[in-house]
Amino acid sequence: MRDLHPGPTRRQVLAALLLAPAAVAGLGACSLGAKPQVDPLVALADQARADAALAAAAAAAQPDLAARLEPLRAARTEHAAALDAEVARQDPDAPPPGPAPTPGPQVTLGALREALQASGRSAGEVALDVPTDRVGLVASVAACCAAYAAVLA
Amino acid sequence: MTDRRAVASVPGYDDATIAALQDVLAAEHAAVWAYTLAIAFLPADEADQARADAEAHRKLRAALEATVSQLGERPVAAQPAYTTPQPVVDAESAGALAEAAETDTMVAWRSVMQRTTTRDVRAGALETLAASTVRCSRWRAAVGSAPAIPAFPGQ
Repeated sequence: MRDLHPGPTRRQVLAALLLAPAAVAGLGACSLGAKPQVDPLVALADQARADAALAAAAAAAQPDLAARLEPLRAARTEHAAALDAEVARQDPDAPPPGPAPTPGPQVTLGALREALQASGRSAGEVALDVPTDRVGLVASVAACCAAYAAVLA
Repeated sequence: MTDRRAVASVPGYDDATIAALQDVLAAEHAAVWAYTLAIAFLPADEADQARADAEAHRKLRAALEATVSQLGERPVAAQPAYTTPQPVVDAESAGALAEAAETDTMVAWRSVMQRTTTRDVRAGALETLAASTVRCSRWRAAVGSAPAIPAFPGQ
């Protein structure tokens, strides 16, 4: 395994920069050298589809929340489309995305928030390692999920 | 000013990363200035929120200045004043200024991610982008910008 512990000078620098509480980019555990065969954006697109379906189900279960949840459903739908497009741009032969899973009938706000937190963490971890031409998209997806998770009290 | 050569070997902090940190520092200077102006025009509850948001930007600014200094560069200074998107004359235009300031910092933090491959810098930039998105969403809601949380913050 690589040495993951930076020297003191660098740590000093980072201590100054990294003031914000760890909300998005979680663990950053050691990623071993081998490149994954599957585009990491595929899983993020699937999560986006699942969250959109979850938001729609939560709105159906609690109609008084529908107006609040519609922008979230729309955003996660946009995320899925943008991530799918980036996967296809990188590999035109990539298999087409599958359908979103069907959520159960009673989706609570808490379940939706947990799903968004998980999606934000996943995207945040992917954002640490993707090339610079993809990181803007992944970072925006991560920040959007984290922000919705924070405001869905 | 610190001797650049003394710290130039800090891994991951290449010129592009340092330039990105200087740009985001400039945006944080502008945000602090914007909130200071906005507070004078906001009703009490929104002024309290603006003070809390301004404090968050002061902390970011201090952290960036410390980081840039430790990397051997002189941190960019604040401008004496900044142009506002529209004249700030009432609560609504003050809220719009806060929204604009947060939007600018979101763009700058997202840009940091695009200009570095250093994981630690990206992690800090992403956390800050998310926090700024939440701050911005309150001002967007206050001034009626929809959606309060954009689908692609910082784009």
